[in-house]
Amino acid sequence: MLKSKRAEYFAAAVLMAPFVVIYAVLFVYPTIKMVELSFTNAPLIGPGRWVGIDNYWRLATERLFPTALWNTIYFVILSALPSTLLALFVALGVNRLKGWTQSVVLAAFFLPYILPVSVVFRIWDWMFDHDFGIAQYLIAPLNGGQRLSVFRTVPLFMPMVALVTIWWLMGFNVLLFIAGLRNISTEIYEAARLDGATRWAQFKRITWPLIWPVTVLVLTIQLILQFKIFDQVYLFTQGGYRVDTTMVMVQYIYRQAFQLNKGGLAASASVVLFVLIAVMSVLQYQLLRVRAQR
Amino acid sequence: MTGAVAVADAPLSAASRLMRLRRIDLIGALVTLATLLGAVVWAFPLYWGLVTTFKPETEIVQPGVQLWPRDFTFENYANVLTQTKIGLWYLNSLITSGAVTIIVVAMAASAGYAISQLQFPGRRFFWAMILASFMVPIPALIVNHFVLMSQFGWVNTLQGVVAPQLIAPVTVIIYKQFFDQMPKDFREAAKMDGANEFQLLFRIYLPMNWGVTTALAIITFIAAWNLFLWPFLAVSSEEKLNVAVGITQVHDAFGVQYGRDLAVAMLAALPVAVVYLLFQRRVTQAIMLSAGIKG
Amino acid sequence: MIRKAFIATLACALLVAGAARATETIVWWDFLSGGDGVRMKAMLDEFNKEFDGKVHIEATTLEWGVPYYSKVQTSTAVGQGPDVMTYHESRMPLGISQNVLSPITPDELAAAGIKGSDFSEANWKAAQGADGKQYAVPLDIHSIILYYNKDLLKKAGLLGDDGKPKGLDGVANWEAALAKLTTKDVAALSVPNDGGTGWRIFYTLLNQQGGQFLTNGKFLDGDNLAKGETAVGEMQKWVKSGWTPANTAYPASIALFTAGKAAMHINGVWEVPTMVDLAKKGQLFDWGAIQVPALYDHPATWADSHSFAIPNRQGNPVDPAKRKLVLQAIHWFNEHSLEWAGGGHVPAYLPVQQSDAFKAMKPNSDYVSLAKTAVFDPVSVVAGVASPVYDATGNYVIPAMMGEMTPADAVKKMRDDLQDQAK
Repeated sequence: MLKSKRAEYFAAAVLMAPFVVIYAVLFVYPTIKMVELSFTNAPLIGPGRWVGIDNYWRLATERLFPTALWNTIYFVILSALPSTLLALFVALGVNRLKGWTQSVVLAAFFLPYILPVSVVFRIWDWMFDHDFGIAQYLIAPLNGGQRLSVFRTVPLFMPMVALVTIWWLMGFNVLLFIAGLRNISTEIYEAARLDGATRWAQFKRITWPLIWPVTVLVLTIQLILQFKIFDQVYLFTQGGYRVDTTMVMVQYIYRQAFQLNKGGLAASASVVLFVLIAVMSVLQYQLLRVRAQR
Repeated sequence: MTGAVAVADAPLSAASRLMRLRRIDLIGALVTLATLLGAVVWAFPLYWGLVTTFKPETEIVQPGVQLWPRDFTFENYANVLTQTKIGLWYLNSLITSGAVTIIVVAMAASAGYAISQLQFPGRRFFWAMILASFMVPIPALIVNHFVLMSQFGWVNTLQGVVAPQLIAPVTVIIYKQFFDQMPKDFREAAKMDGANEFQLLFRIYLPMNWGVTTALAIITFIAAWNLFLWPFLAVSSEEKLNVAVGITQVHDAFGVQYGRDLAVAMLAALPVAVVYLLFQRRVTQAIMLSAGIKG
Repeated sequence: MIRKAFIATLACALLVAGAARATETIVWWDFLSGGDGVRMKAMLDEFNKEFDGKVHIEATTLEWGVPYYSKVQTSTAVGQGPDVMTYHESRMPLGISQNVLSPITPDELAAAGIKGSDFSEANWKAAQGADGKQYAVPLDIHSIILYYNKDLLKKAGLLGDDGKPKGLDGVANWEAALAKLTTKDVAALSVPNDGGTGWRIFYTLLNQQGGQFLTNGKFLDGDNLAKGETAVGEMQKWVKSGWTPANTAYPASIALFTAGKAAMHINGVWEVPTMVDLAKKGQLFDWGAIQVPALYDHPATWADSHSFAIPNRQGNPVDPAKRKLVLQAIHWFNEHSLEWAGGGHVPAYLPVQQSDAFKAMKPNSDYVSLAKTAVFDPVSVVAGVASPVYDATGNYVIPAMMGEMTPADAVKKMRDDLQDQAK
């Protein structure tokens, strides 16, 4: 008995080792180091001096970081909720289809999701190109006959990047909703129809209550995901035009660390982002648990 | 439309039955139409980007909407293939994404098995840690990952691109859940026959969950292939770039060439698109697995 | 017999091995992706052919500006990166402060035949740090110029008999000319609406008024602020009056000019090859280029200099033998910089700059006068290409130009922002 216990420990140690080592070296250690770095004035590579909470104070008082924080939140609002709701509508529609039509339509909505972000950027940059973009045929009439460079017009920038992001990632949400819809047994609907329930009543009384947990799941996944926005904003502002006005948090970290060589300041911004996402994750976990207990 | 047929069984007067049917069909048809229209709108940018790559540059900048090239040409692709290092970037993407996939899946399956099936000190602690970190904000760690990689001397190397992508608690969670659902009899029977834990994992648990492994491998691969931020930071030379970053970083000295820019983008997307179209069902399954954590 | 054959074979093998070893590779990074990049590629090919079997330059062209300099900074910090790289002189203080550049000793320079006296004093000194050490070797002096469409200017009566524009000097004349050139289909002037171009024009107009951007560590101090406001106000007027199209990205602004939809175009000399090549293919109208007209008290034009530098790779320095080769290569490029002048630039190397061949070169000779009144970027760690100054121009001057902010507001915000970052 003791021998088999020892064998089990041994097996567990061997099987857990790779994960634990990687997790410790690449996650736990850098996280601790990040917090440590955030209290120093170190450059990206090399030692620094302990400066207490100076970096955090600077984040709170300077102009750029609050802008980046607000832009990130603004982007999350613009992308997470619309992409969740739109996905629900699309899923309801797709779920009605059958056979190969459903596969084709689903593929049309999902295909963008598997593209690299740089490809998404190229496609949309081309669609909206100021001089030759096909979208200008729609934009010009709305803009008094003038073509408009949408990604260079500040009030339009975030909504446009959000639009592109929704196009890119919504397929993921659609899939989750469809999975949720398939879990609702058709018998419930049949029973409701026998009771003479209208389409709207069916949705309100059956579909919505049963799909609500999925909606919460999708929404929280989106919230957490979109907080990490960098790629799209970086690519669409390449060329250095009005970077500050549209800056987001990860971009701020990138700029401080990799452009201006301020490792300490970048680390303190990272800690803020880390905490924000951690809070969101806990929130999500709690929400899901509350749902599960019902 | 089967729903409408089901309604017909209900004891209703013929007239009201007809009314109902018609109304339902009208709304239903509208919803279907909207869905189909939406799909066309959704697919259009991709189509438009693709079709542009087959036009000569002079045709691309002509006004008007030309849904199919007048002069169909592969010139843009020929140019891109000969003038950029896309072949090398493909290879880099393939090596790094392949390595990430293999390591993540192997590591997660082992850890998932241990946590699911074995009793050992610290088991609950590890499980709690994994659960707590299942949405690890990797982008918040870029600064310290860079510092760490430079301490390893791994900046601008392929292993430096791979390493930070190996943190994958979600994969462990999914494996654990699937292994939890395996009937205990298998285990008991195999143990009676003298199988050790490693044999159990590789001969029984993994083969019986082959679908999960494929699904996880595909989605890990796609994510690694598409990753932008980290390779963008970790690589400085053209020779070590992956496809997703390479197409945005290096310009040949020919000014703006819409056709070429899009052609190189389409080539970058091709492998993942093919993987998706071949394994459509597995990919959908993987997506649901990665999100549908129910505990 | 056998022994002889054996020895012969051995000798051959040694020779081959020796030859293989003799080909040294120099890793080279540049950011030259404009029209001048084509010229540089040709020069690189020529170099590699001339030194075939001995030295081979492996060149990579990275995206100009922020992407380039971020890569340089991060890779040198971890002991990676090229053996030689192009670097803007305007960015020297920033580069030195980031510890990115490796100083070059007088002995090394002398060994490669590089002499400070072969360059203009200001140009040579701009590549030195506050410590007096040499950090780079200049290749060229470049600036912005006014490209013009002769047909359109002639139609508006603005072309002199010498084929050069007339009556553009002074704000009143300049604005009258812009108004005259603007028609329903044609804009008078196109400029790229990015931070880089914005800065070059702003700095030009500021200096034409005798204004200074940085004095004693203070940005736009005293009446310089008002002069800055005048400069931004003028740029805003071009757009507001419909003379200059708004929101044109870099390539689009060039396309407007080359398509005949803009009569004039302000951009760097590095786009000269773009025009030359188009004209050669018969795809361009009769064009010319001159120094940017003096709108205010006296002529002045922003200028910068491409130079070569050796990165200060931490823990993995470029070894002395390689440095020697690199410096020899740099010297070769300077000696051959007449070809580089085909990229629109003014060679920094005086023997070439003062040669008859360069003096006869068109269109360079039409605008080379700008060199006399060229003004280089302020010497500061927040100035230079891809620096906070460039960013600030993109963040304040360009929006003001587009009419989204008043000029007064823009210069004040720019001043405060830079003052804050220079701390």
